[in-house]
Amino acid sequence: MLQLLQNEWVKIWKRTATHVMVVLLLLSSIAIGAITKYQEYGLSVPDNENWKQGLELEIKEYQKQLDDGTVDPTSIDYTRQQIAINKYRIEHNISTNVDYSAWDFVSDTTELISFAGLFTIIIAAGIVANEFTWGTVKLLLIRPISRAKILMSKYLTVLLFGICLLLILFVFSIILGGILFGFPDTSTPYLNYHDGTVTEQNMIVHLLISYGLNSISLLMITTMAFMISSVFRNSSLAVGISIFLMFMGSTVTFLLATKFEWAKYILFANTDLSQYFEGAPIVQGMTMTFSIVMLCVYFLIFHLLAFIVFKKRDVAA
Amino acid sequence: MASVVELKDVSKIIKGRKIIDRLSFNVEEGEVFGFLGPNGAGKTTTIRMIVGLISMSDGDIFICGNSVKKDFEKAVQHVGAIVENPEMYKFLSGYDNLVHYGRMIKGVSKAKIAEVVELVGLTDRINDKVKTYSLGMRQRLGLAQSLLHDPKVLILDEPTNGLDPAGIREIRDHLRMLARDRGMAVIVSSHLLSEMEMMCDRIGIIQQGKLVDVQLVKDFVSNAEKLYELELDRLDDAMNLIAKHLPGLKLTKNESCLEVPVKKEQVPELVKLLAGHDISIFGIREISKTLEDRFLEVTNDKGEL
Repeated sequence: MLQLLQNEWVKIWKRTATHVMVVLLLLSSIAIGAITKYQEYGLSVPDNENWKQGLELEIKEYQKQLDDGTVDPTSIDYTRQQIAINKYRIEHNISTNVDYSAWDFVSDTTELISFAGLFTIIIAAGIVANEFTWGTVKLLLIRPISRAKILMSKYLTVLLFGICLLLILFVFSIILGGILFGFPDTSTPYLNYHDGTVTEQNMIVHLLISYGLNSISLLMITTMAFMISSVFRNSSLAVGISIFLMFMGSTVTFLLATKFEWAKYILFANTDLSQYFEGAPIVQGMTMTFSIVMLCVYFLIFHLLAFIVFKKRDVAA
Repeated sequence: MASVVELKDVSKIIKGRKIIDRLSFNVEEGEVFGFLGPNGAGKTTTIRMIVGLISMSDGDIFICGNSVKKDFEKAVQHVGAIVENPEMYKFLSGYDNLVHYGRMIKGVSKAKIAEVVELVGLTDRINDKVKTYSLGMRQRLGLAQSLLHDPKVLILDEPTNGLDPAGIREIRDHLRMLARDRGMAVIVSSHLLSEMEMMCDRIGIIQQGKLVDVQLVKDFVSNAEKLYELELDRLDDAMNLIAKHLPGLKLTKNESCLEVPVKKEQVPELVKLLAGHDISIFGIREISKTLEDRFLEVTNDKGEL
């Protein structure tokens, strides 16, 4: 099995396309770094002695909006969150006067996780379909190894690849952030708002959690791409559908969720588990357990489809 | 000799159509078995069923006694194969390709890879990317790939497709050598008859999914009566004479020759007869029926049934 993984790994990394992916990923995080650095010159941190007063003003403003009912219904939550966090800051004396640090940069580059996800999807979509396109599947399947094992090794390789990209992104962001912005002397905690209460979180823990949570939707979409790749043997189809769903899926689900309750059964209503830690779930009454069960169900369906079709397939052309 | 590959009543039905119909035959150790048939007869389908790329609808195939259906991994470990064109990972070097396939089977050492590369004569170019290989070199790499684990059966689907005469010859020599020196059973499919005649010990002819005939190449070609071409003067007299003494023969006359279908033992008799009647004989030539004639004969006969 290890040898199979090694094979797939080699086949991914010996291709130029893969190197291009990594370079693009690094370049885009450098770009974000450069832009942020450039902006930083303009606005140096306001050395504001009266930050508490500023926050209080903000709270009053928000509260007024809430009382007047002029707030857009979708941003009520956000407004409440801002009030709670501001109050917390004042109570616990956590100043807003902090320099932009490496950790903020890492937090900003979490946006790039979907970029890494895109590449992982491309790899997942190609890993089975390409063997068919290249014709190498014929030589691959006449080895004394069951098809299930071969498919399994391919799936695990995709996961490894995804993890590898995320790791590259994470480590590179920390290093780059450290070089450009430096690490703060005292780490500022991340303030998390959930169900009306604010809690402090260690910054690194917070970053790891946000990477982890982001990876769940990645995992699901990648698994889907892998399934499409193995069922239809067509990598473009797999890439197309997966990327479309990745960008549109949550939007469409969000729209549906405002009208229909059954929207909660849609995959994308459940992929974002952070809704249970921060803010409110997309459909009222959804719980974390419900989402995890739904995710497992989808995960199993994808895999069953992929494995059954791959195992039964007559390799004819 | 032991049967290495055994097909038992193998059938394949795709969308209600019988592609392969109750096919049975054995291939023995050390022999080159040719699998012959027109395009679309089911050669490739049969070969793909032997290596497990396509499932069987009915029947079973045994390789060294292991069922391909029930015990795929055990059965296929004795098989080395190239199915149609030897497609390799073009972005890898030839060597990396071999390492890749070597990792999928237990006990393929570096020394073994080097040995196989040497055998197919790719030592100089083995570290180049497959992209840069000619078709002949890819075919040789394909052969190397199939030999990595010392298989007992070697299966090649249209191995000479698209090769130039030198390449064809090379493959042929390799195959004969492997069968003779290593006792491998070799199964080759082709629609090129002249090819088969030179390569194989035994030929199975398949048509419309049915096995029409299995014969030794020697018998296959020589079994029938031979046709002799006699170069004579006074053709018409000779024709009458032969018709009188050896009735029932189908004689054909062309410009200066007479074609007579007789058995070899009858030739001296024929000569005596002609010489006795003062007919000059300038030459007697055997027109041997080629495999091609026989093939068309066999397939036509059975096809019409």
